[in-house]
Amino acid sequence: MGKKLDLLQGTLDLLVLQTLASMGPLHGYGIARRIEQQSGDEVLLNEGTIYAALVRLQQRGWISGVWGASDNNRRAKYYSLTRSGRKRLTEETSYWQRLSTVIGRVLSPSEGGKK
Amino acid sequence: VTPRELWSKLTAAFHRRKIESDLEDEIQSHIELAKADRMARGVSAEEAARQAAVNFGSITLAKEQAREQRGIRSFAIFAQDARYALRGMRRSPGFTLVAVVTLALGIGLCSMAFAVLSGAFLQPLPGVPDAARLATLENPVTFPSFENFRDHSGLNARMAAYIGPAPVSVGVGDAPAERITGHIVSLEYFSTIGIEPLLGRFFDPAEDRPGEAPVAVVSERFWRIHLHAVPDVIGSAIRINGRPARIVGVAPKDFLGASPLPNAADIYLPVTADARVAPELTGDALHSTAYPRFRVLLRLPPGLSQRAAEARLDAQARLLEDRPSRDKKARLVRVIDGGSLIPLPPEARAMIEVFYGLMVALILTLTCANLAGLILARGAARTREIAIRLSIGADRARLVRQLLTESLVLAALGGLGALAASRALFWLIARFRVDTMPAAWLNWGTDARAAIFTFAIAAAAGIGFGLMPALAVTRPELANALRTGVTTLGNARRRFGLRNLFVVYQMAAAMMLMLIMGASVLGVLGSLNQPAGFEVAPLYVFSVDPARDGLTPEESAALCAGMAERLTGIRAIESVTIADRPPLAPGLPSVEMVAGDRTMQVVLQMSGPRFFATLGAPLVRGAEFTDRDWLPAAIPPAVINRTAAKELFGDADPLGREIRQGARTFQVIGVAAYDQPQVLINKPVSVMFVPFTAKDAWRAAALGITVVVRARGPLDMAAIRGLLDPRMTMFHQQTLRESIDETMRGARIAMAFYLPIGAFGLVLACVGLAGVTAQTVERRRKEIGIRMALGARRSQLLGLIMREGATMVGIGACMGCIGAYAMARVLAAIWSPLAQIVSGSTNPWLTLFIPALLISLAALACYVPARRSSSIDPLIALREE
Repeated sequence: MGKKLDLLQGTLDLLVLQTLASMGPLHGYGIARRIEQQSGDEVLLNEGTIYAALVRLQQRGWISGVWGASDNNRRAKYYSLTRSGRKRLTEETSYWQRLSTVIGRVLSPSEGGKK
Repeated sequence: VTPRELWSKLTAAFHRRKIESDLEDEIQSHIELAKADRMARGVSAEEAARQAAVNFGSITLAKEQAREQRGIRSFAIFAQDARYALRGMRRSPGFTLVAVVTLALGIGLCSMAFAVLSGAFLQPLPGVPDAARLATLENPVTFPSFENFRDHSGLNARMAAYIGPAPVSVGVGDAPAERITGHIVSLEYFSTIGIEPLLGRFFDPAEDRPGEAPVAVVSERFWRIHLHAVPDVIGSAIRINGRPARIVGVAPKDFLGASPLPNAADIYLPVTADARVAPELTGDALHSTAYPRFRVLLRLPPGLSQRAAEARLDAQARLLEDRPSRDKKARLVRVIDGGSLIPLPPEARAMIEVFYGLMVALILTLTCANLAGLILARGAARTREIAIRLSIGADRARLVRQLLTESLVLAALGGLGALAASRALFWLIARFRVDTMPAAWLNWGTDARAAIFTFAIAAAAGIGFGLMPALAVTRPELANALRTGVTTLGNARRRFGLRNLFVVYQMAAAMMLMLIMGASVLGVLGSLNQPAGFEVAPLYVFSVDPARDGLTPEESAALCAGMAERLTGIRAIESVTIADRPPLAPGLPSVEMVAGDRTMQVVLQMSGPRFFATLGAPLVRGAEFTDRDWLPAAIPPAVINRTAAKELFGDADPLGREIRQGARTFQVIGVAAYDQPQVLINKPVSVMFVPFTAKDAWRAAALGITVVVRARGPLDMAAIRGLLDPRMTMFHQQTLRESIDETMRGARIAMAFYLPIGAFGLVLACVGLAGVTAQTVERRRKEIGIRMALGARRSQLLGLIMREGATMVGIGACMGCIGAYAMARVLAAIWSPLAQIVSGSTNPWLTLFIPALLISLAALACYVPARRSSSIDPLIALREE
């Protein structure tokens, strides 16, 4: 197994927002697990670091959290996307898509070789 | 950062405990869920727990990251420190109480000083829009020169002229006439001020048509109180100075004239009014260039400064000047601020601002030094705590910050206390309210600026008295205190240096405050109780104003001439005389007199026959005026008081000598024991009396004619009116004592303000000294124990402690005296009339009593705690650690 990917600054927030958008309300562990699974275990994620991101997203009003019970009857705090969070996700997603296209284009060997 | 995020960060600090436990629960639940998840996939319980923990990473790190994200780090620390400080305060309530009370009083006094400053001197004219653009000329001018300024100076500014305050006798319906104050105004007056009438109209150019009844505008206040606020008041008839007139308008609410102090204007007459209605206009005022009686008001357009306007008007005034002025630099015209309640020339304003500024600085630094000493002393007791915290790795900056936070919390409490204290002080001063002043005056307590100022001072004080001790207490070598013990002499000495400095400063500041306040209070007291040279108790005064009661000049003269004869018909009355103002009224303007080669400022007063006999003031030399002096003479006689005799003629005999005042010459016929007091200066003023003659009887002076009566009991005014003329209004009826006290009311208010400041300085300095001495005794317990064990007598030990205190007091007192002297000089340099007060107040009471008071109280403050040294038991002191 090769070296895992470090997350770029700010990308964790986007991943959390996307996860909540596609999965509905989830607790912290669920979010972390989902990100690991979705990335094919390629992302290096200390699950603990997700909590700082959760605090940040709550403070900005993009997600909200309430205590509830999990499937196997454990107490857990469930986070869900707010309306402004959904809006933010759309903006962020299109931003990332543009950025990755640009980076892909700059780095692609065929284009670079011509020069 | 969005506002929402900032808000949640700020509020996070206040429910920290809840958030922390929430996070803890969440992390627990996370690990449980992770473990259960793995176990469900068939991993053993032990391995599942291990994997869950590894995947989670450091719990501490996660918490710390979340915390950092949650709050603002420095704010969270501040909140933590503040909580810690409050807990510490609960533990030592005595210290907290003393500190908060000291601060509250100190800041309270400062904010009161500020309120007096802003309330009296920074207050704009009530009811005037954009008052800051108003300006006025320092000296009155004649109407022709006003017209010259208005029409020919080319100054792009609205200008108006008025005479005021002018007393006006006003009668409504059948009610007896009442004496109020008014302004006699040019047509531009109201438009220059920039107001519109509440009802009716203001004056227009057609106002002076002959045969038409004179017109008047009244204030909203007058309309409300005297005319019962009836809406159809326009056109109704009133009597003004005994003549019929009609009201054409009511001025807007709150407007009390262009110069509401000391008397607010309640009625406005046009300058075109007949001189019989407005005696101030006697002698063709609109064309006469004889004597300047009009005050000029200017509204400067934006962009035109007072200086520029002054330069323009000055140039215009010079054009008219027929002879070139001797001094080219001196301005003929001075433009000063006209939009404040009290128009002040810039140098007087500077003096007042510097005076208040210095006073506030003194009070505040005194408070801070006191508290710094207190906190330092407390810090010494906390040395061990701080040393432990430093030695287990506490950051010094962090500790300083925490100690500073403690001071700020204390300051915030002090600030709250100060608001309460200043309220109480306002209440105290408001009891001296002067009725003639408009409501705007003394309307402080609610001033938001004062509250902001209070808290700004509190915060500054917090940093001021917190920083120095914090730096001192956390000095790194203090960590040694743990090893060497706190009571080591060498270590103690150095800290003592700083504390000594605080005490010396407190002594110096207290001495300065007391001397300055003492000079003011003694000045006031002295002028209140100055012996007049005669007994004032059996004397009564009242005023009449025949001109404004509608009497003709001939009737007035007859009335005044016969006054004494008629009134002595009343049994209780022994003697009667008249004068142009109540005797002994202080604060009178003086005029320049020349006698031989000497030139002096002398107060000029007119008095009738038997003036000194009525007062009971003995004539030291010569005689006084008799009925013969009722008719004007070519060289009028004069009586001077003994102060004037000494200053004008020295030891030479003044009888028969001549005194010149302007174009007039007087011949001295008598010297009287009549000591005229003056405010703040404990020295009688020079006064010259000239005869009150027949032509003075129909006068337009603001004070009317004062009748002085020596009687065996209170005056029966009804009987007096019956004997004089039923048309006459008597006013200002009081005893001479009351009349003198009334003129001193402003000074009394000032005293009520200065006295607590001086007392505050004294108490604070002594408390500071006592605290430090007590600390000294406590710290030197061991040393004292050793000395006692070696055979030192208790009195020797007492002397040891006292000597230390005495040195500090001595140095501080000397510095304070020098400081007070320097401050007085600085103020005198800014404002020259003060130089006279400064030189006049080298009073033995002041220069001996105040230092003696401070030193003896300081000695007591030192002695009481020092005596505790003698109660130290050497055996116990040496054994304990």
